[in-house]
Amino acid sequence: MSLVEIKDLKVHYPIRTGFWNRITDSVRAVDGITFNIEAGETYGLVGESGSGKSTTGKSVVGLEKVTSGSIMYKGVDITKKANRTKLDYNQDVQMIFQDSLSSLNPRKRIEDIIAEPLRNFEHLSKDDEKLRVLQLLDIVGLDADALYKYPHQFSGGQRQRIGVARAVATNPKLIIADEPVSALDLSVQAQVLNFMKKIQREFGISYLFISHDLGVVRHMCNNIAIMNRGRLVEIGTREDIYNHPLHIYTKRLLAAIPETNVNQRAAHRASRLAVEKIYQEQQSKYYDENGEAFPLIQVSPTHAVALPENIAKQLASQEGEVQA
Amino acid sequence: MAENFEQHSDVSAADLARLTQEAQAEATPSTAKIIWSEFKADKPAMAALFIIVGFILFVMIGALFINTPKMMETNIMGYFNQPFTPEYWLGADSGGRSVAKQLIVGSRNSIGIAIGLTVISSTFGICWGLISGYFNGYIDWGMQRVYDFMMMLPMTMMIIVLVTIIPHYNSVTLTLIFSIFYWEGTSRLIRSRTLAESEKDYVSASRTSGTNHWKIIFREIMPNISSLIIVDCTLSFAENIGVETGLSYLGFGLPSQTPSLGTMIANANDPNNITQYWWTWLPAALEIIILCLSISYVGQVLRRAADASQRQGAAD
Ligand SMILES: Nc1ncnc2c1ncn2[C@@H]1O[C@H](COP(=O)(O)OP(=O)(O)OP(=O)(O)O)[C@@H](O)[C@H]1O
Ligand SMILES: [Mg+2]
Repeated sequence: MSLVEIKDLKVHYPIRTGFWNRITDSVRAVDGITFNIEAGETYGLVGESGSGKSTTGKSVVGLEKVTSGSIMYKGVDITKKANRTKLDYNQDVQMIFQDSLSSLNPRKRIEDIIAEPLRNFEHLSKDDEKLRVLQLLDIVGLDADALYKYPHQFSGGQRQRIGVARAVATNPKLIIADEPVSALDLSVQAQVLNFMKKIQREFGISYLFISHDLGVVRHMCNNIAIMNRGRLVEIGTREDIYNHPLHIYTKRLLAAIPETNVNQRAAHRASRLAVEKIYQEQQSKYYDENGEAFPLIQVSPTHAVALPENIAKQLASQEGEVQA
Repeated sequence: MAENFEQHSDVSAADLARLTQEAQAEATPSTAKIIWSEFKADKPAMAALFIIVGFILFVMIGALFINTPKMMETNIMGYFNQPFTPEYWLGADSGGRSVAKQLIVGSRNSIGIAIGLTVISSTFGICWGLISGYFNGYIDWGMQRVYDFMMMLPMTMMIIVLVTIIPHYNSVTLTLIFSIFYWEGTSRLIRSRTLAESEKDYVSASRTSGTNHWKIIFREIMPNISSLIIVDCTLSFAENIGVETGLSYLGFGLPSQTPSLGTMIANANDPNNITQYWWTWLPAALEIIILCLSISYVGQVLRRAADASQRQGAAD
């Protein structure tokens, strides 16, 4: 059984208009997505800005009111608040937030920030609690003198580590990492990512790793889901997504990874333009008449794509030939 | 579970005392220290603080030694006595009553009402605004309709009516009556900031850390809008001195046998007093001006102390 099973999750935000403030329409931030997160793995959720990644992540930690669908954890549906309370769900599932500065209360000292989940879930003695906080600071590579400082006294990378320390404080089973490094520069990105991997190995944590950057995701994740306008357009292993992408949206994201090799820059640009051209011209092939993604079709045991059955099969066999 | 952390960190119980000490040496100063160093950096504000505290202590203690009913007895001999005489430091009014003594007792009454009113109405307004802004949805909707209803009532008229209806009122009942009508402005202000603050990720982080709503409202969000609260409280305090004064001036505040800054300024209703007997009303007017200016000065310093980017004092 998977650690977390997300089934047909929908989160719609009502749009109210008019004199009576009635609900006239809704933003379908997440519109029917299904995937499972296995214990100990890093699951990548990728998509451009506004595709509903954060909303999905927040639903999984229980911050978002879900419109329909279910999220099963230990056999219960945690979209219901009563179930979350009964399980002490957030002791097991924590979140690292997209914006490290706004996720740390500027009025609280680091000790109180990191100890907050401990105080609510573990009720340690004062000394044990302080010891745990010091150990956590040590694990994330910060000095003990951070203890009584305030968040604004740290750099972005250090703050993100404090966020990580808080997330691992209760030794959770799953951490939702919402673009944990997108606000950081490249060298610090690598630092924080390696360090998240290290913690994963040592503590056996699973991550739901949210990012808009396929380059970073490749470094982190075994299984990847591509999200587009609230729906999943492609699910597969790292191999499936990077080497045999089927959906045009995935290809487009892949083409957008910057090419660092100067000699290949021209070729890279040409292929990017080619993908962009197909994307513009073949909208009707890849999306239904409302411009929405099709339901997912399984093309191999690990790989699924949101296309009509015949097109999916055809593309899959083409990919196969190219690879052969 | 604890072993899990022990395994991956070199820090152990033996290091606790040493590391705590190291951390304390590097600790950021507490809020009280920051506020104090901010006052030290701003001399006029320091003076203002001493004026306010000294003056309030002086009138509170001084008023204890004055027998009010006796002081308010009419004394024909003192009719508009000139100021700066040994018996009447600041002269006397038409009833021959000492202006200096009235000023002390009157200040005590007015300031007492202002403090009481500020404490009650701000506390209520802050709680109302915080709760309304944090739980947006039906709770917010309901609370805002109550707010709208209160705003609709003609405030001054309601107070005058209530004061007329209640037979034996004193400073305490008057303070309570004022409080019913003076929390709305604060609550709206606090609500709008709370709405913005509740959207921030640290509130979400507290929720996923298992902290309950009330703790989030009062321990997480409230400290973050403390600068707004402080400024609002100081301004309301300055304003509230005026509330009682204004109403007493109109004749609907404290009963006439109870001196207050308002009843003293009301002496200026008489054109004769304005021109000839200036000492009957000028001291009270000056006092209000000086107090309000000092309060707003102190408020500015408190706001700077609450907002790290505006500090002048050598904090950190
Ligand atoms: N509270 C809300 N009310 C209305 N619409 C919302 C709300 N929160 C998010 N949305 C909408 O839902 C969509 C998905 O938002 P979400 O934050 O999940 O995107 P994202 O994939 O995380 O983007 P980014 O990469 O920029 O963080 C957006 O179109 C956004 O406008
Ligand atoms: Mg996001």
